[in-house]
Amino acid sequence: MTDVQQKNITKVLIANRGEIAMRIIRACRDLGIGTVGVYSDVDRTALHVRYADEAVHIGPPQPRDSYLRMDKIIEAARRTGADAIHPGYGFLAENADFAQQVTDEGLIFIGPTPDAIRQMGDKQSAREAVRRNGVPLVPGTEAGLHDDDVVGTAEKIGFPVMVKAVAGGGGKGMRVVNDLESLPAALKAARAEAESAFGNGDVYIEKMLVGARHIEFQILADMHGNTIHVGERECSIQRRNQKLVEESPSVFVDDDLRERMGKMAIAAAESVNYVNAGTIECLVDKDKNFYFLEMNTRLQVEHPVTELVHGIDLAKEQIRIARGRPMTYTQSFLNPRGWAIECRINAEDPYNNFIPSTGKINVFSSPKGPGVRVDSGVYSGSEISPYYDSMIAKLITTGDTRQEALLRMRRALDEFVIMGVKHNIPFHINLMNSVSFIAGQFDTRWVEERFTMGTYESGPTDDDLELVAIAATLHSHRRRQLAAQVVAPAARDTSNWKWLSRWERIRR
Amino acid sequence: MKYTTIINNKTFEIEIQRDGSLLVNDKVIHVDFLNLDTSLYSLIIDNRSIELAIDESDGMTELLVNGRLFEAQVLDERALFLANRRGTLGISSGEIKSPMPGLIVEVRASTGDVVEEGDTIIILESMKMQNELKAPIGGTISEIAVKAGQTVEKGHSLVTIAPND
Repeated sequence: MTDVQQKNITKVLIANRGEIAMRIIRACRDLGIGTVGVYSDVDRTALHVRYADEAVHIGPPQPRDSYLRMDKIIEAARRTGADAIHPGYGFLAENADFAQQVTDEGLIFIGPTPDAIRQMGDKQSAREAVRRNGVPLVPGTEAGLHDDDVVGTAEKIGFPVMVKAVAGGGGKGMRVVNDLESLPAALKAARAEAESAFGNGDVYIEKMLVGARHIEFQILADMHGNTIHVGERECSIQRRNQKLVEESPSVFVDDDLRERMGKMAIAAAESVNYVNAGTIECLVDKDKNFYFLEMNTRLQVEHPVTELVHGIDLAKEQIRIARGRPMTYTQSFLNPRGWAIECRINAEDPYNNFIPSTGKINVFSSPKGPGVRVDSGVYSGSEISPYYDSMIAKLITTGDTRQEALLRMRRALDEFVIMGVKHNIPFHINLMNSVSFIAGQFDTRWVEERFTMGTYESGPTDDDLELVAIAATLHSHRRRQLAAQVVAPAARDTSNWKWLSRWERIRR
Repeated sequence: MKYTTIINNKTFEIEIQRDGSLLVNDKVIHVDFLNLDTSLYSLIIDNRSIELAIDESDGMTELLVNGRLFEAQVLDERALFLANRRGTLGISSGEIKSPMPGLIVEVRASTGDVVEEGDTIIILESMKMQNELKAPIGGTISEIAVKAGQTVEKGHSLVTIAPND
């Protein structure tokens, strides 16, 4: 396939916000490509707007009025002369119609084809596609079955089972059923929920794997027929189906499993003629049987851990592929160098049921030093608004061994200062101290079922408390003294700026 | 100036003397306390050096030290006198405030109900998630200021719980 048309990209519009917009702007800068940011009313002062070469206002804060408005985003690209659009993750990243419209406008969509997005976006068609290429699936039923048939299959594959909505996402229409008796009621409830949430009440069931891990493979494919994998990511540390910590490689994956799962991941991607970066998500049971879960047709939040252990820049590679060039690499990545761990720092209060916290970030001082990378879209003085997701930053550490990466993570978490909003750094500190996490013994249910904040938290010593009490008192004392002094006249009766210029004139 | 500072239910009597030294629970301590940046401070006591981020909200002083957040209540003599008279000294408030703007989905208690600390009282939808707001203390619900379907701003008072004696 040497007849692939090479296209030029000179300016990329980033149809996103936050840290991923920053990540893509940086990749473009590295490549000498111009950037266009888009922003809603509340994002005028956001970091990605400050960093982009050009910025276009696209509407009110609600995503449906701005970051999800395909017409406004395409119009912004046309107006600024951008020749490509990168969707980031979330928002329009996995919307086949958007990819189609962008292509129809004669612009380059930095991602897979609309057809691949469509096939992988529907759970049922995704399962059918990968099955044709011999990819193992979690035992379950087809969609569109009558309840009686579903119950019959459930008996055959054994409980517990998961009831899932065909059009599902974000845990909606999802039910865990432990026995035959409660299945009919669960089916009914899931159908109703899916009908109201997605306008499609079609459900199916899947065997629930007990003690399973969530392990995913990074895929890269170009237009010249090359498809490779870039190793695995371990993402079992989750809460309510939200990943909190990811690492690469996985303690659970040996060379043999990596090779077998890698082949499976490539076969899954090839089943829809996939092009660009994507991720094959799998469940792996304790006997190392693995099953395809779904394919994410975009760059993932957790892509940095893969970049760091394999020395690859995935965002740059995405742009290269979109230009029609062959990938830099033609061999799959089987040998990770060292270890990388990522903690998602979210504005959520771990002591209060992980309730999201909004407000102004008064202090944001990120950790530095060897083996530390911070991807973030905030700064001291920026606002966490209730309109978008609660991620403040991604903290990634590396080391020659998992142990070293983990110890660096502990150090970096201690060094990280975020004030103004509640955040989950204390959760991560506790996690890094927990025996199970250190030993690599956990599954996807572990955080929710067995992890509690208190277990690995030693209370502060009396000495610590005294130090903190002294600091609190001195701080309050100074505030009160200052408040009392406000009424006193300023020592200099003119502004400091004026005074400075007078002083400079005298010195001349 | 004399202060009473309460932190993790421990009370410290701290007096700031004219020469800048401190009397902490009747022991003399010399401190070096510097403001580095807006909320960033450096404290050196007996050669022990710590960095803190300090902020004040709702009359509480919040301090972040090595990833750990502390909440302190600093009372001068007048405030201590008033707190003692109101009987609110060192007792965490029974008020549930909205931590963010959102929609009240459900109110799970009524006025007069007896609740335990940690009981879910209100479900608030915000950031596309349903959040459970729990009772900060055990007691009797004395006031419910909202109902299901209502939208609230951040800091809106939702429920008040009177502590049990």
